Amino acid sequence: MFLEIKELKKSFGNDANRVEVLKGINCEIKKGEICVLLGPSGSGKSTLLNIIGGIDGPDSGYVAIDGEKMADMSEKQLTKYRRKHLGYIFQMYNLIPNLNVKENIEVGAYLSDRPLDIDELLKTLGLYEHRHKLPNQLSGGQQQRCSIGRAIIKNPDILLCDEPTGALDYHTSKEILKLIEEVNQKYGNTVVMVTHNDAIKNMADRVVKLRDGQIRTNYCNEKKISAIDLDW
Amino acid sequence: MRNPLLKRIPREIVGEFGKYLAIFLFMTVTIGFISGFLVASRSLQVAYDGSFEKYQIEDGHFVLEKEPSDKLLEKIEQEGVKLYEDLYLEEETFTGEKEERSVLRLYTERKEINRIFLWEGKLPEQTGEIALDRLYMKNNHLELGDTIKIVDRLFRITAMAALSDYSTTYQSNNDIMFDGTKFSVAIVTKEDFTSFGEDHLSWNYEWMYQEKPKDTEEEKEVSSDLSMEIAKAAMDDENELKIFLPRYINNSIQFAGNDIGHDRPMMTVLLYILIAIMAFVFAVTINHTVSQESAVIGTLRASGYTKMEIFRHYLAPPMFVSMLAAVLGNVLGYTKFYDVAANMYLGSYDVPLNEIIFNSEVFIKTTIVPMVIILMVTGISLWKKLEFSPLQFLRRDIVKRKRSKAVKLPRLKFFSRFRLRIILQNMSGYLTLFIGIIFSSLILMFGMVMRPLLSRYAEDALNYKPANYQYILNQEQEIEEPSAEKYCVTALKMQDDYYEEEDINIYGIVEDSKYYSQLDLPEYGVLVTSDMAKKYHLKKGSIVNLKEEYGNEIYAFRVQGIFEYPTCLGLFMSQEYFCDVFQKEIEKNDDVMKRLGRMLTDFSGTEGELYYNGYFSENDLSGILREDNIASVITDDDLTKLSRQMDISMGEMFGMVGVFALVLFALLIYLLTKLILEKNTNSISMVKILGYTNGEIGSLYLVSSIWVVILSAIIALIFNTWFFSLVLIIFMKGYGGWFNLIIGWELYLEMFVMMVGTYLLVALTQMLRIKKIPMEEALKNVE
Repeated sequence: MFLEIKELKKSFGNDANRVEVLKGINCEIKKGEICVLLGPSGSGKSTLLNIIGGIDGPDSGYVAIDGEKMADMSEKQLTKYRRKHLGYIFQMYNLIPNLNVKENIEVGAYLSDRPLDIDELLKTLGLYEHRHKLPNQLSGGQQQRCSIGRAIIKNPDILLCDEPTGALDYHTSKEILKLIEEVNQKYGNTVVMVTHNDAIKNMADRVVKLRDGQIRTNYCNEKKISAIDLDW
Repeated sequence: MRNPLLKRIPREIVGEFGKYLAIFLFMTVTIGFISGFLVASRSLQVAYDGSFEKYQIEDGHFVLEKEPSDKLLEKIEQEGVKLYEDLYLEEETFTGEKEERSVLRLYTERKEINRIFLWEGKLPEQTGEIALDRLYMKNNHLELGDTIKIVDRLFRITAMAALSDYSTTYQSNNDIMFDGTKFSVAIVTKEDFTSFGEDHLSWNYEWMYQEKPKDTEEEKEVSSDLSMEIAKAAMDDENELKIFLPRYINNSIQFAGNDIGHDRPMMTVLLYILIAIMAFVFAVTINHTVSQESAVIGTLRASGYTKMEIFRHYLAPPMFVSMLAAVLGNVLGYTKFYDVAANMYLGSYDVPLNEIIFNSEVFIKTTIVPMVIILMVTGISLWKKLEFSPLQFLRRDIVKRKRSKAVKLPRLKFFSRFRLRIILQNMSGYLTLFIGIIFSSLILMFGMVMRPLLSRYAEDALNYKPANYQYILNQEQEIEEPSAEKYCVTALKMQDDYYEEEDINIYGIVEDSKYYSQLDLPEYGVLVTSDMAKKYHLKKGSIVNLKEEYGNEIYAFRVQGIFEYPTCLGLFMSQEYFCDVFQKEIEKNDDVMKRLGRMLTDFSGTEGELYYNGYFSENDLSGILREDNIASVITDDDLTKLSRQMDISMGEMFGMVGVFALVLFALLIYLLTKLILEKNTNSISMVKILGYTNGEIGSLYLVSSIWVVILSAIIALIFNTWFFSLVLIIFMKGYGGWFNLIIGWELYLEMFVMMVGTYLLVALTQMLRIKKIPMEEALKNVE
């Protein structure tokens, strides 16, 4: 199994204020799958994503990617790991304001020994015409495309998406989801996407539903549809 | 692949052009000036050190009472020295249309020893020609070709010269300050020299050791033995040793060298403090940028950028700007500022300065060390700021100590509480501003206080002088002049643990003196002047220890009282007590007293009458006293010598320093208020939406800063007055005399108004910034 999550527990606060956010999560994701982590606010899905991404640590349990347990890694090794294997997409695009589109994507490319061809990617992202623009000259959707470009230019094994359409309108959201789908098909990355939008589960290979820090359902989606056909 | 973040660095600098330009210019000018100063100082030091061999500067000189016999000179030479005759005359000189009086020490050309350096022109070849010291010409506005009057004869200036044994023109080695305006040295032809006669001739001999002492300790021993031998040999030859001055204590030769060396650490420390303040400004602004870009940093860190990569990235702009400032500053230092600094030195010292000497020490001090300071201060602060995890950056959760609840404020009006919150929110910025204000106001104080201090010194010296004329005689001379009053005076060396030895005048005052009528002189013991008491922390009952100049006798006096006499360091006693104290010494050891100098040479006194060696007088006694009997006259020029020379040497600098302080002050205010406004852009935009006017917003954000400025300025003025008095004590360690630090309230008010006025000017520009903040700003930031 490519991504293995075992007995993962995580809590915040101390003593009387202690809140258990993840209460023993077990899950496995295959290489190249699109996995959607679904759940309402406070269900623990973002915390789970952060632990998978190595930017947060569990209290117990572990996450192993391709057999390598993250809990055994030092801070330095984790950074190296993220550099090599992971791409991140957030709800807020967090682009660097004084770098243009192409340069923002280059920020991701710099981290990889085998980055994708940037012009080809810009075309895939539909940003080739806008490559010299600064982030504040772009629409929200274009900015999110750019942040996707920054995440996938280094051709990561896993693409982690935290509410990538949370700040976007219906049409733009669908465009972005379509793009993620295309990237997944074209480059074969494993995609783990956190969302509270129930409709998005339909484009996933695997759906994991969380509530109160526990997995309620975890299943393979046999009736997967294209992102462009999603509706909500 | 090159790190694409590198492309941000020039854009970051351009984006914050105002901030970086202001810091860059300030650093460039500071580094430039101090680099120029250090290079000039170092070049001057090298020229000065080299001048000893190049110009064959004497190992010492002595002056005899009258022409020595060949036998005497031979005997002295047997003590391991080679002698060179170099007689001089001291004559009254008159310059300019107003015929300003001064004194010139005239020499003839010297070829073997103490050689002459010519800045311009040629040495006198014919009668009526003269070569003058460069500084004397400058201070008295004389040019080559001008004429000056010496006694009653006119001389044409043919050369601007530097006499290698007079890098500073001390008339007497006991003077607390040299005087480049009223006293100087000159070269005339032999014919002219002899034509002045011998009335004011000094039988001056310079010596060179045949075997140089290894170090100063040995030189002290050797010269002490030599002085004894010369004094004894002179007595045996019915002559007398009047002055004995080895080179190592000759202020005319040593002062410049010591002073040039003294300035460098002070200037270096000044540079480092200024750079450290700039480093703190960088640290505060970078921390602000990191806070602003927290989410971006979080994303980069989550994507795999290391902390070091981010650290290097944010440190690059300040390091780049500092490096550029250091390089350009050094270029300016070696070109433009070198001349400014060299001219400042050459305004006080006459050291032949030919070339700029590249100096690796200066390069390290003005380039490497400032970079290291910026790297350390900014780097440590940034590294600590980057210690948060990627997730904390993403959540903008990068405050070290989170307040569990807001600081409780007293019951104040809403606006006042709002302003207090702004201050609490920006503590690090305001702390930097506070330190900056303390420091810039210290520089401002230095720039503004010194001139009034010098003027006050001159005023006090004139106001407290006992009489218009103070004569010191070679021997007693009775005269018929109603205003004349006898007194005794001698000078001894003060012994103190902190201050270096300096001459203290000991006065013996007649009973019922009309010039010191206010003094209630004790039968035994002494009264000390107020400045003497302040400098040496004396009070009633203290013991003052003083030592002979050319002997080992130590005199201990009990202080019986203190009286107000600013600018004078002296001990006052009754004439009877004076004679009693010193008479005993004469009986004990006549040889020692012989060497006490000309004031005590004729000390035996007439039986039945008390000894005296001077007159106070309201009127000029030059026509009454025998000219050859006047050892010296203390005039107003002598009393104001210290303040006048310091004004000439440092006067220009005071103004520059004041301006510099205000620029530093304005820069800090500008950068830190700008930062506070940027930090609060969102809030400002929000309160605009709520309906606050620009004026109200300005009064919230800028008035909180003025509170800090006013409070800091008040604390700074109090702290710096205390600090300045400490600095003055350290400063006076290397000088004789004493300055009273009296700062009038007008000056405090002036400094306060200058600081607050500067703030208001800067605040005006910041008001424009507030006006420009759009209301959409608050709506844009939805995170």
